[in-house]
Amino acid sequence: MGTAVATKFKLKGVMQAPVTPMKDDFSFDGDGFAKMVDFHVRNGAPAIAWPHHKAESLNLTIAERKLGAEIAVKTVNKRVPVSIFVGTLSEEDSLDIARHAQKIGADMILAISPYCRRPSQEEIYDSVVRIGTHTDLPILTYNSPWRNGEGVEFTGELTKRLIDRLPNYIGMKDASFHAQKYLEISRIALNMRPGFSIIMGVEHLLASYPLGACGSFSSSGAIAPGLCNKFFGALEARDWDTARDCQFKISRLWHLFKEQYPSSLKGAMIMMGRPVGPTRSPLPTATEERKKFLRQQLEELNILQTEPHGW
Amino acid sequence: MNSKFKPGLVHTPITPFKRDHAVDYDTYAKVLEFHIKNGAEALALPMPEGEDMSLTDPELRQLLEFAMKQVKGRVPVIAHVSDAGTAIAIERAVHAEKTGVAAIVSHPPYFWHPKPAMIVEHLVRIAASVKLPFFVVNPPIESVGATLTSAMVLELVERVPSLAGIVDAGLEFVFMEEIMGNTRAKHPEFQLLAGQDYPVSAFALGGSGVFSPLSAIAPGLVKKTYDLCKARKFIEARGMQENIAELHHLLKEAGESGLKDGLGGIKTAMAAMGRECGVPRPPVRPLGEVERGRIAEAMRAMPYLAAEPRGW
Repeated sequence: MGTAVATKFKLKGVMQAPVTPMKDDFSFDGDGFAKMVDFHVRNGAPAIAWPHHKAESLNLTIAERKLGAEIAVKTVNKRVPVSIFVGTLSEEDSLDIARHAQKIGADMILAISPYCRRPSQEEIYDSVVRIGTHTDLPILTYNSPWRNGEGVEFTGELTKRLIDRLPNYIGMKDASFHAQKYLEISRIALNMRPGFSIIMGVEHLLASYPLGACGSFSSSGAIAPGLCNKFFGALEARDWDTARDCQFKISRLWHLFKEQYPSSLKGAMIMMGRPVGPTRSPLPTATEERKKFLRQQLEELNILQTEPHGW
Repeated sequence: MNSKFKPGLVHTPITPFKRDHAVDYDTYAKVLEFHIKNGAEALALPMPEGEDMSLTDPELRQLLEFAMKQVKGRVPVIAHVSDAGTAIAIERAVHAEKTGVAAIVSHPPYFWHPKPAMIVEHLVRIAASVKLPFFVVNPPIESVGATLTSAMVLELVERVPSLAGIVDAGLEFVFMEEIMGNTRAKHPEFQLLAGQDYPVSAFALGGSGVFSPLSAIAPGLVKKTYDLCKARKFIEARGMQENIAELHHLLKEAGESGLKDGLGGIKTAMAAMGRECGVPRPPVRPLGEVERGRIAEAMRAMPYLAAEPRGW
């Protein structure tokens, strides 16, 4: 029952989830996006995953998402695995994007039951099975429980049923960031399906790596890829002191970026010489004042001085 | 900031009741002896699993006095002093100090859905009423709208000289990262204690202790996990942490309370380990026969419980 399809890749490390660059008129900047993807691969990303919330996924049209997926796959050119996020408001769109991802040669998809609906456990099960049986690609799911029982929550029991049902179910992006919720999934999934990948939604890795998390989909990698790689290296070397330094620094970055994500992140990227443009409405675009503040913070954290500038 | 008292592995005993719902002191003596014999470096009582909310003010005082006499200084005792009213909590803290306890631990004032400033003020005043080291519990999300934010903790750190640390039952990674990351430079002696039996993440982030309800059931597993965490063998602790999580999940999900306090579950599991200690006090409902059977069956399927002590 725990037997999974064999994958050609092993997910590990701080995997990068690029933002979506926009032109000044808010249109999708395909050239900028190709540069963004290439930047991450050249700076050590062990995988590319797009378009997550950080990439304004719900603010892209389905056509833009397909175009971006094509650019990502083509730019990466098999150097590392590529995951395409298929979460949408309508499940039919998710199926469409999943079909397209397989056709263009992506390596896996990341799925979630359409959110904003507070789906029940049965509804989440049905969605994931429908998407997961609709494609031959390996599938990851996205656990996104919000604080008050809203959101889409994968319990341990649901995860178990999905592993039983789907041989191509290879991992979970976990955004619970909560020791008990994390362990409900990990203690079942990691023992039932060896090699199952638990990937943290942000680099909250010091709390989760010892408990079997294999890496993260990065938030701060757009600003500080060197810090991310150093952090993961320290975890693998069990150098807990260095890991703690990195974690606390990354936590401060996350604190700067998490409000109205990814507006501030994009603003800070501009300060690092990577002009990724504005953030689509209803999210605000970082003001000049905010960008100046972010620049000061990056300088204080010694990131402005040590991390790569430009593309 | 008080740096001297480092409680380490803290057991949090249940409170047994007789059939007429009176506190069962004969059994309570056995409970305390069991914890001291089985690895407690300190005791905190009565915590939520000791049903503190169901005890009257005179009972809380009497229970503490009884415990101090029974423990006789063999391990430090931390008095749990929480109430919806600041003045009531202060009076009880002053009483606790007179009994000779080593420290005070308090929850935010539940019931009022308090604003952050109210919570901070309440805790500041309790801490100021005594000369003892002071710990604050960050309760789980299920509790009635009174969890702490990292900003509130930082305010407490600045305003409460006796604050020794946070007992975190909220279990959120971001909270732990922020309180440890932001206190490290100025207050390196600030302590993070895992407030439920999930020490691996807390210790990896710099934690140094644990408040353990499950020590009543599997004190060996709790102690081994704690020892590995203390030795920074976090990866080696994973298997045991998964076992603890399995047991925790079983007991927490039992019972009808929306608080998921697991009170009925803990006492049922203790009975299954040969330590009969009655049922929770109303309004908490005891588990029915079916649920008790389910827990006993699930526990028989946990091989790691075979090595745990049976009876008192």
